Amino acid sequence: MRRGLATAAVVVALLGVAVGAELRLGRVQRADPLGRELLYLPSPEVLKVVSVGNPGLAADIFYMWSIQYYSLFEPHERFLYLEPVYNLITDLDPLYFDAYRIGALIMQIQTGGDQRQLQETVQRLFDKGLANLPTSWELAEAAAWDMYMRFRDRRQALRYAEVAAARAGAPARIKRMVGVWRDSEKVWTADDSIAYWRQAVEEAVDAYDRKMSLSKLYDAVAARDRETLDPVLGYLREDLGRCPASWDEVVRRGALVSVPLDYVGNPYGIDPERCELVPLKKISDQ
Amino acid sequence: MSDIQLSVQGLCKTFHPGLFEADVEALKGLSFEVGRGEIFGFLGPNGAGKTTTIKAICEIIRPDAGTISVCGHPHTAPEAKRRLGFMSESPYVYRHLSGREYLRFCGELLGLPRTGMEERIAVVLDEVGMASRADRGLGTYSKGMQQRIGLAQALLGDPELLILDEPMSGLDPLGRRDVRDIILARAAAGATVFFSSHIIPDVEALCDRVAIVVDGTLRAIGAVNELLARDPVSYELTFTGADVGGLATPLEASHERSDATWVRVATPLRDALLAELGGRGALLLSLNPVRISLEDLLVEHSEEPTS
Amino acid sequence: MRAIRAIAANTFREAIRDRILYLFVGFALALVVSTKLFGMLTVGDEAKIVKDIGLASIQFFSMLIAVMMSMLLVSREVDSRTVFIILAKPVRRWQFLVGKYLGLVAIVAANLVFITLVLAVMVLAYTGQWDPMLFFAAAMTLLEMLVLAAFAILFAVLTRPILGSLMTLAVFVVGHTSAELWLLTRQLPGTLTRGLVAVVYYLIPNLERFNFRTEVVHGLPIPPAAVGWAVVYAIAFAAVALVLAALRFRSKDLR
Repeated sequence: MRRGLATAAVVVALLGVAVGAELRLGRVQRADPLGRELLYLPSPEVLKVVSVGNPGLAADIFYMWSIQYYSLFEPHERFLYLEPVYNLITDLDPLYFDAYRIGALIMQIQTGGDQRQLQETVQRLFDKGLANLPTSWELAEAAAWDMYMRFRDRRQALRYAEVAAARAGAPARIKRMVGVWRDSEKVWTADDSIAYWRQAVEEAVDAYDRKMSLSKLYDAVAARDRETLDPVLGYLREDLGRCPASWDEVVRRGALVSVPLDYVGNPYGIDPERCELVPLKKISDQ
Repeated sequence: MSDIQLSVQGLCKTFHPGLFEADVEALKGLSFEVGRGEIFGFLGPNGAGKTTTIKAICEIIRPDAGTISVCGHPHTAPEAKRRLGFMSESPYVYRHLSGREYLRFCGELLGLPRTGMEERIAVVLDEVGMASRADRGLGTYSKGMQQRIGLAQALLGDPELLILDEPMSGLDPLGRRDVRDIILARAAAGATVFFSSHIIPDVEALCDRVAIVVDGTLRAIGAVNELLARDPVSYELTFTGADVGGLATPLEASHERSDATWVRVATPLRDALLAELGGRGALLLSLNPVRISLEDLLVEHSEEPTS
Repeated sequence: MRAIRAIAANTFREAIRDRILYLFVGFALALVVSTKLFGMLTVGDEAKIVKDIGLASIQFFSMLIAVMMSMLLVSREVDSRTVFIILAKPVRRWQFLVGKYLGLVAIVAANLVFITLVLAVMVLAYTGQWDPMLFFAAAMTLLEMLVLAAFAILFAVLTRPILGSLMTLAVFVVGHTSAELWLLTRQLPGTLTRGLVAVVYYLIPNLERFNFRTEVVHGLPIPPAAVGWAVVYAIAFAAVALVLAALRFRSKDLR
């Protein structure tokens, strides 16, 4: 009995020494500040061989490791190696949606450094995913929002939204996104916009979609009307030395035949400070 | 009727252990026959080729040359194997089975009819004295119990020819007696029994004929009596009234017992010793010829080099 | 055939009563159930990880069981004296091997079905859906094991237990990597190297032909020809290994 206890005590003591040594070793600074583990990332070919037919599992393991590793929010150079890590994961399993989407999100955590380069890196990952997952509108939509919210790049957001809209199964909101961003980036004419929104109203999938599309159609019509009618106000202002008070006055002075009406048949207003057309948007359910 | 139940002719076998080890010539042209109803003993020192011969008969190894026939069939034929009951030396058996399950398994392999198999198993278990312990796992059996089950599976098919490799090894005297009784009973029922053994008293007691094998060749074969029929080589005497140290006649051995003196003397010197004892006034208590034992015969053959 | 059935049943019984089997089954179960823990470590689709780990476990532990059980149940017996008593009976040597093989396959199959059931239940708990394709992937893994078990039997009669197990393990590893190696060496100029690698590739079963895990996890379409020919491939290779084993065993002296 006593011998057993003594042996157990010796074993525990030795374990304590070993654990203590390990803790100490963990604190010792080694020469490479970038994190040795990442310098020795194995290639996907090697991992495929090692996994004896389970590359998807190897991808999962690296993915989980990356989540854990990058979850500790300490923004320093470790984020530099993100692209190889997610390339490795997606080489092992090219159909791994989360690796693309969450990988892109994790990349975006980094706030310092060259944000331009970061955006290109993020886009490369998204583009790889979109190429490998040709039917995924979800990934394209995620890319569009990331471009808009994180990088404030409406051009790229529009590009990804268009990719998403072209893929089967894309919900109605994506088509609306495309329209909204085309409007805001002014990549098309007012007539194109009106035609687009008119079609959106016709193809509306539910009441909400219809309502939203109607609203956009209204705005598109108003935009076109503004294009044609604001110059009229400008001429009159030069003539009169002041902005016309109302569209009735414009008509009375002979500049227009009748009071312009908005898409739903209500008259427009005039913003007196800026001397521009103002839609009095009151869309009732039609 | 003495048809031949086991015939071995010109059996040769050489083992090739490997690249760096010399070949071993285990059997060098062995021939013998065993008739129906005989109890035949196979004697020889370790490495003589007894187990090799038995393995050849059971087709566990293939001979390089020679023929073997079992119950009139070539030994490789299923008809031969159905009539043969084999028990190996210290049989290792499946530890996960009970004795009864193991016998059932053997019965299936023998192709015994399913109807009546359970009864047959019960009979055989009874015969070997394992009836009450048959349902325990074989892993729990002692050596003796394993031997008994090994014998039981050999007996299961009611074989015409029983081939037993060292059936008494590892058994206590009671166990050995039981095995002897079984062998005798089987022989009485008409089976032929062929067994190899180290235990000379058993062989002497049981066997009708004996073969002595040394170094892969057959040295002697025949009934025990014939083999041992020789003039005694020496005599044993017990006497009182004379001191051993003072005797002139050379002795082979001597021993002082509490009640008498015992000596052994070579046959040619017997009469001289008797005369000397008589001259000293010793009282002769007993005089017995020492017959050569089977053991002596075996040793004699073992020490002879191969011709 | 009664002898074959008796030997197969006995082999199966021996495995069932051997505690080592339960060690493997326990580990496999623990791994599959522990995927719940892995789910906590990840962000996104947890069901994918459960399926990946589950199917990999089914493959890995089936392989371990095939290798281990073959060593314990076949190699050891062929190497020991238990087999003498069987061979002295009116049982042909090839019947002994086929019986052993079928018993081995039965044990692997039983284990595989059990773990797949557990996996399917776990996936049901995660996704609320019953995924029958998991059983398809497992069935293809069983085909893989049919081939591997046949090679295990072959090595059991060719060499000693531990060496035989290592060689079976080697067939498993090479069987999964030979396709990659062959693709890589096709670029190489030397015809001798290419020829050598081609020989290895064709003589060692390409076990990747039974790998439908990616399709099952990602829901991709599976061409029936891939499945049909895989079955033919498995049966052919298993038969080759068993025939070679029977030939060797026929003339083998048992010590």
